[in-house]
Amino acid sequence: MIPSAYSPEAARGLWVFLEQEGGQLEGVALELLGKGRELAQARGVPLTGLLLGQGVEGAARQAIAHGADHVLVAEDPLLAPYTTDAYANVATQIVLDRKPETLLLGATPNGRDLAGRLAVRLRTGLTADCTGLAWEGDTGLLLGEVSGFGGGVMASIKCARHRPQMATVRPGIFPLPSPDPERAGRIELVPVSLEAGEIRTEILERVRHEGVDITRAKVLVAGGRGVKGDFGPLTEFARLLGGEVGASRIACDLGWIGRDRQIGQTGFVTRPKLVVVCGISGATQFTVGIKAAGLIVAINSDPEAPIFEEADLCVVDDLFPILEALIAELKRGMP
Amino acid sequence: MSEPAGVRVLDDFAWDEVWGAAKGAAAPCFQCGVCTAVCPWGLVQKEPVNVRRLIRLAQLDADGWGEAIWLCTTCALCEVRCPRGVPVSEIILALRRLAWERRSVPKGLPTMLWAVHWDGNPWDQPPSQRQAWAKGLDLQPFTPEHEVLFYVGCTAAYDRRSQKIARSLVALLRAAGVSFGILADEPCCGESVRTAGQEGYLAEVVAANVRRFEEAGVRKLVAVSPHCLDMFRSHYPPWDGFRPLHYTEYLAELLDAGRLRFTREVRGTVAYHDPCYLGRRHGIYDPPRRLLAAIPGLMLAELPAAREDALCCGGGGGRMWLETHAGERFGDLRIREALGTGAEWLATSCPFCILCLEDSAKVLGAERLKVVDVTELAVRALGEASLPHPALSPTGGEEKGEGAPVRGAP
Ligand SMILES: Cc1cc2nc3c(=O)[nH]c(=O)nc-3n(C[C@H](O)[C@H](O)[C@H](O)COP(=O)(O)OP(=O)(O)OC[C@H]3O[C@@H](n4cnc5c(N)ncnc54)[C@H](O)[C@@H]3O)c2cc1C
Ligand code: SF4
Ligand code: SF4
Repeated sequence: MIPSAYSPEAARGLWVFLEQEGGQLEGVALELLGKGRELAQARGVPLTGLLLGQGVEGAARQAIAHGADHVLVAEDPLLAPYTTDAYANVATQIVLDRKPETLLLGATPNGRDLAGRLAVRLRTGLTADCTGLAWEGDTGLLLGEVSGFGGGVMASIKCARHRPQMATVRPGIFPLPSPDPERAGRIELVPVSLEAGEIRTEILERVRHEGVDITRAKVLVAGGRGVKGDFGPLTEFARLLGGEVGASRIACDLGWIGRDRQIGQTGFVTRPKLVVVCGISGATQFTVGIKAAGLIVAINSDPEAPIFEEADLCVVDDLFPILEALIAELKRGMP
Repeated sequence: MSEPAGVRVLDDFAWDEVWGAAKGAAAPCFQCGVCTAVCPWGLVQKEPVNVRRLIRLAQLDADGWGEAIWLCTTCALCEVRCPRGVPVSEIILALRRLAWERRSVPKGLPTMLWAVHWDGNPWDQPPSQRQAWAKGLDLQPFTPEHEVLFYVGCTAAYDRRSQKIARSLVALLRAAGVSFGILADEPCCGESVRTAGQEGYLAEVVAANVRRFEEAGVRKLVAVSPHCLDMFRSHYPPWDGFRPLHYTEYLAELLDAGRLRFTREVRGTVAYHDPCYLGRRHGIYDPPRRLLAAIPGLMLAELPAAREDALCCGGGGGRMWLETHAGERFGDLRIREALGTGAEWLATSCPFCILCLEDSAKVLGAERLKVVDVTELAVRALGEASLPHPALSPTGGEEKGEGAPVRGAP
């Protein structure tokens, strides 16, 4: 077997690759910091973030607030947009210098792209698209739960003799940690040697899809058939709370709101801190999409509605006057 | 090697693979196209699912079946029409199995399978909640002395709407004086694993369940869902004395034996929707109708497409875990048919059917039509005296949210 670029004996520490876009950390990077914190604590090792980009000082501080002890920052104008060559070259160099034992990345399009490159260059294994991470009891190896379920395989994968142990993790699996702005950590700038000639692609234009991603919303205001076609008050309420609007399938079917906001079994599984469920009866196909929510508030005029079984706070009333009053109250508190 | 345009060369390896997966079942097909013509997807999509072509591909080579294999609801309408007796849905499931190997499967199915693996149910619910539907009912753990094992199944155990079916059935069994028990650690029958095309994992599930049932001394089993029934009847190895029944069959037996009696009037008209896995798969058309007919005051109307011709609700074949675009749901057509009969109830006897039909009724705003399970009407016909538990009374007395056996009836 070909050995990895460095040996298990030389390897130290748990790293998370901090994917960012325009200086903002991706949701999955924050989720990985949350899970990474837990894994690092269990192992008694520091949690290191690897951050590549340009003008990412703020993102580094954000990473510390979310659980990193140490952030390695590689800044260079050539790293501003993600390109496979630039990121793979710089990240390989830093990993070879510092020799982490474990390296986690988000299974986003860019994360998957980078992870594959790195694994080949470092001659190590990569567990792709994990849906769970844990340390194996006796060996202390990283176990990646893989939900491929292809060809009848269900697997926990480990990488016994090669380092770093690498895994990409599917977004939305781990909860978002709450930031602690007081958390202390060390930001370390690492030198970058990168030539424009190393990059074989040129970014001509970046087009962003102006869609929503309700799986990342911290606050959701969800509406169903009881909203009777009028998402206005819900949108207003969501805006005041700094959240997004979600919906039951029926509300989407009736064309009241876009399909990209459908919560549930065949929609999106969300994990907001707060979800306010308005005029939704609470079919199981809907509630599976909010069961990981921190706090569930339900407003429904039917006291028998099953949603009240799931809710932490139950409001038995017409949703419109309730939302109106809440909106007025929130506006009053604002300058 | 280059081929002239339009000429396809069979890939021997792929041929063996598909042939092997479908166990040669496609061989008798003579390409008449009847399956394509009857497949209900043709009613809701501009292009019908070209079932004949899928079978041809299964006869010839492995590629080009595309997304279509995931649409099949395994409703078996094509199978009862096929002049050659081709098990079309079996072949489609075999193609799904190959699709897993090629890792081209729809989003949602892996999550569902992991839920079966970790939590023993496809609904991604905690095993600790499996008995929650029976709260306050004092059900007994099954022993071989019981007449029957009540096999609840994952959907009736976890889905809030379907829990009401399980509770109604408990009331009916008690009213008939049946001694029954449930398995404390009831396993998932594996139907969602089978329809997802996971034959290998299914074999593990079935083997474990057979062991579990044999240990527990299970003989007569009564299932809520026709999908569980189909698993036990057609996909489990038979063992001595094992007799899986659907609740409609068992209740009809109890009716014949004079143990179950409907004494209260339920006035109105009911149309009955035949679940595919009860009707076409197992020929159970009459027992549910006999139950409804035995309810005093209740009139039975037939839907235009009934019995062997019945239109699928759209929830079979793993479609419960996949999104079907609005406007392409078979349930919508079925609700329109039911509205046309003037019935106030659309009764059926499968949790998947209830979920799909009720959802379609809501989307169509069909307020005056109530989708109910046969047990839910039957419970209303029990005399007050035979109601053994206040929580099961159709008129209330239930604790909030435990799922009344009947709700929303006029
Ligand atoms: C295969 C399949 C997949 C599905 N996938 C999903 C999914 O991913 N997501 C999903 O959401 N559903 C899904 N469903 C549908 C699901 O079963 C339910 O039909 C749906 O969630 C119900 O939506 P609803 O609660 O908005 O409507 P309803 O069940 O009609 O509930 C409306 C509620 O609004 C209340 N209400 C009415 N007026 C007011 C008012 N003025 N103030 C307060 N409350 C009021 C009523 O009391 C009622 O409880 C799926 C169904 C199937 C069959
Ligand atoms: S109906 Fe039967 S014989 Fe005819 S094309 Fe379909 S599978 Fe083949
Ligand atoms: S089983 Fe039903 S859905 Fe599947 S191909 Fe046949 S008719 Fe179509």
